[in-house]
Amino acid sequence: MTLINPISYWRLKDRYFNLLGTKCTKCGAEWFPPARVCRKCGCQDLVDHEMPHTGRLLAHTVLKEPSEEFRSSAPYVVGLIELDNGQRLLAQVVDVDPTGLQDDTRVRLTIRKLAEDTKRGTIFYGYKFTPLP
Amino acid sequence: MSRAYVASVGMTQVGEHWRKSLLDLMVEASLQAMNACPSIVPDRVIVGNMFSGAGSNQEQLGAYLASQLNLVGVPAYKVEGACGSGGAAVHNGYLSVKADESEAVLVCGVEKMKDLDVGRATAALAMADSAEYTQFVGATFISLNALTHAMYVKKHGVAKEEMAGFPVLGHRNAASARHSMFKRPITVEDVIRSPIISDPIRLMDSSPICDGAAALLIVNERKAKELGDVMVEVAASEVAANLFTIYERPDPLDYVATRAAAGRALAKAGVKIGQVDFIEVHDAFSVTAALALESMGVSGPGQAPKDVTKGRFNLDGELPINTFGGLKGRGHPVGATGVYQVAEAYLQVSGKAERNQVKGAKVGMTHNMGGVDTTTSVHILRREG
Repeated sequence: MTLINPISYWRLKDRYFNLLGTKCTKCGAEWFPPARVCRKCGCQDLVDHEMPHTGRLLAHTVLKEPSEEFRSSAPYVVGLIELDNGQRLLAQVVDVDPTGLQDDTRVRLTIRKLAEDTKRGTIFYGYKFTPLP
Repeated sequence: MSRAYVASVGMTQVGEHWRKSLLDLMVEASLQAMNACPSIVPDRVIVGNMFSGAGSNQEQLGAYLASQLNLVGVPAYKVEGACGSGGAAVHNGYLSVKADESEAVLVCGVEKMKDLDVGRATAALAMADSAEYTQFVGATFISLNALTHAMYVKKHGVAKEEMAGFPVLGHRNAASARHSMFKRPITVEDVIRSPIISDPIRLMDSSPICDGAAALLIVNERKAKELGDVMVEVAASEVAANLFTIYERPDPLDYVATRAAAGRALAKAGVKIGQVDFIEVHDAFSVTAALALESMGVSGPGQAPKDVTKGRFNLDGELPINTFGGLKGRGHPVGATGVYQVAEAYLQVSGKAERNQVKGAKVGMTHNMGGVDTTTSVHILRREG
């Protein structure tokens, strides 16, 4: 319930900065967040695989009451995004006027600051999405 | 294999208990249930709770409660399934009796939320969803439900006035309930003019942050007969898990776990949904009530908000729901909610629901979700005779 701890963050850095999910070595299905067992064919042999960096916005909400660690960013847009390979994730959608944001907007990955641990001085960066020009 | 019966229930008032601790609430509800059946000594203690560790720096709630009740040496432990913890705890009590491992189980659900400010409570509730991919990006539990609410409205063209029917019903039923948090009826206008938390979800679409505890004594057939009171059987108890997050699901609007748990429960109890006299449904938000009722087959796709607006789910309607106000009106002390629901269903089928009595109620169903339909339990209570 607090910010992600620095060790988890270190372990996840490639997942967060490169959208590294997994891919099934048997049927080729791709998964993000990473699946450990293929949901299509049940294969247990999956390898890390980078997801496409573009997709489209399926739905979005403007969040006004965030968790305490994100209070300084509020209000912000949380989007349900479908990547070009069909995998979905949640991410903040930035550089937009929330009132004019339409679903189906094409978006791309951008790495931004998410939150800051002011006591320890740790800054957490991660994936957000921004509309394609 | 014995049948399992609810022998008695206890409930604290739901609300802001500044002067009562997690332990005070658990003990109060448990003693109410135990004092109603003084001849019964529980041989097992199960506590349903979501975030006592994060919220009160306290774990081992099973032993913590059993110790205060002088029940030393009995099996005692906590069961967790986020906001579905209470239902999962009842399920565990049911299993213990069904398996003939226990004769009398004390099940207590508790949550102490008001010791946290809103930002910390919001962070604690977000623990229901992925730490690595939901909490990390700044999404909250409300924002997940806001996304499904937006998708639901877009898919079915539901008016916000129709969605508002759920909180209006909840407050109306809560107003006459002894243990409910809210005593004031509200109007559709009140709902659609309330502040937005995460659009399209407004404050009045959302169940409140609150404190409370509820308890049940679940006993075997022999003990239930000895008591000589009305016999209320737990005719079915089912838990189902869904794919963990809404973004991993092929259709985020399909409450797969609700459908599975309700389907199995009805089959095991041998009743059809049309034979159920009332349902306590998990209306954490207006949209969760709608999607749950539709997934159970109570309403057609996109129809539940129309049904509630037309009065179908009123106390005197065709199929009453949330007869003491549900999560919105009674309140949603998250880990306690599933136990409150079963306690309320007991009051209904045993004819002890006072001003909230559903006339002739004999079979009742309860529906409790952890996460967005991630860990869902369904219970069916039936009066014998």
